[in-house]
Amino acid sequence: MDINAYIESGVIESYVLGLASADEAAELEALAAQHAAIKKAVDDFALFIQQNITENSIAPPAELKQQIMDALEEEFEEAKVVLLPLPPTGNLAGDGPAKVVKITTPGAWRYIAVAAAILFLVSAGLNYYYYVNYSSVSKDYEALLSKQKDVEAYETKYNNLQNTVTILQDSAMHVVKMAGVKNHEKDVATVYWDTRNKDVYVYVNNLPQIPAGKQYQLWAIVNGKPVDAGLLGNCDGVCKMKNIPSAQMFAITLEKEGGSQQPTLTEMYVAGKI
Amino acid sequence: MTGTDNKYTEAELVALLKERQQPAFSYLYDNYSGALYSVVLSIVTERETASDVLQEVFIKIWRQIELYDPAKGRLFTWMMNITRNASIDMVRSKGFNNNQQNRELTEAVYDTVGSITTNIDKIGLRKLVYKLKEEYRTLVDLAYFQGYTQDEISKLLNIPLGTVKTRLRTALIQLREIIKP
Repeated sequence: MDINAYIESGVIESYVLGLASADEAAELEALAAQHAAIKKAVDDFALFIQQNITENSIAPPAELKQQIMDALEEEFEEAKVVLLPLPPTGNLAGDGPAKVVKITTPGAWRYIAVAAAILFLVSAGLNYYYYVNYSSVSKDYEALLSKQKDVEAYETKYNNLQNTVTILQDSAMHVVKMAGVKNHEKDVATVYWDTRNKDVYVYVNNLPQIPAGKQYQLWAIVNGKPVDAGLLGNCDGVCKMKNIPSAQMFAITLEKEGGSQQPTLTEMYVAGKI
Repeated sequence: MTGTDNKYTEAELVALLKERQQPAFSYLYDNYSGALYSVVLSIVTERETASDVLQEVFIKIWRQIELYDPAKGRLFTWMMNITRNASIDMVRSKGFNNNQQNRELTEAVYDTVGSITTNIDKIGLRKLVYKLKEEYRTLVDLAYFQGYTQDEISKLLNIPLGTVKTRLRTALIQLREIIKP
């Protein structure tokens, strides 16, 4: 074929300017691969066009570049070098080389992901911190509450003992020692009877542990008849009982919880004459 | 003048673009946006639309760089053809008649403010095409700047297809002679 005639046919210019048909383009590409002159003619014309158009450049609006860069932000690939600590090993000095990991993720999402991760960690850290604080304060509060109860218990105990001491020291108190009856020889209790107002107090020196559902009851024997003088509760030291205007004898029996109308004589533990 | 202060060779630039490197794209824009904008403006007369087209063109170049085959020609040639096609598509999507009206209006406005580069015929390749004889000029305008096929031109101008083909090629040979440095 006549290479020069082909070059001068205008098909090369058509091709470079994008006006050639698909068939013409395919033929030209095949010929250019075989004939250096055709290839050169194509390259020359392309270069002339590029130079001419470049010389006649018109600057686009200044803000356009940033707009395009923003639009493509997520499509740019950037090699990021991230330092990660080595997992713990036997080497406590920890001076081994940090592991370098190349992470490649598209643009903005990376920053968003990192920001989200940081926020999450900060949030988790704060949660933990507040939880620990809360737990600690909560424990302190429980401890304080417990101490407060202890203090109150001690206070009650102290008041009771103080009361006991006052009663024991009171010279106006008539002391009635109740000794253990038969089969209860070791048991002892003491009645303190105020001679002024006839108030009765009882102090348990030694009585057996109360079985479940039972309660000790104090009786005053008045003219041969037993009179209920009250139940022994869970009092420390001296327990205040009922007011008994007159009596000849005091005794303690074990009764059902809540007390009885009449003493169960078989369950008498201690008794003492005035 | 841009495009000649070569920091990258064309092959290096293409390789970096394929690696999705932002600096390469920035370089591409800095060196070719002015030339490609003149290509857009030789087809799309409204400046605002033209810059939209240029944005579309650069995004297309970025996303289709894998399709560029150096064996088939220069990077610039490939980008210029993308630019021309995108510009013609934009004009067509806006409606030819409408665009013609806009062109007249735009030129009138430019004339009023007395801008130097008012006339579209002074932009880029149009300036060269303007130097052609009128019968050639019309053909190149319809084929290159308006994207008509030779068959369409034949019908539009009522000239046989063979004549359109011959005249267009002659026009392009003349264009080459004008453009030769």
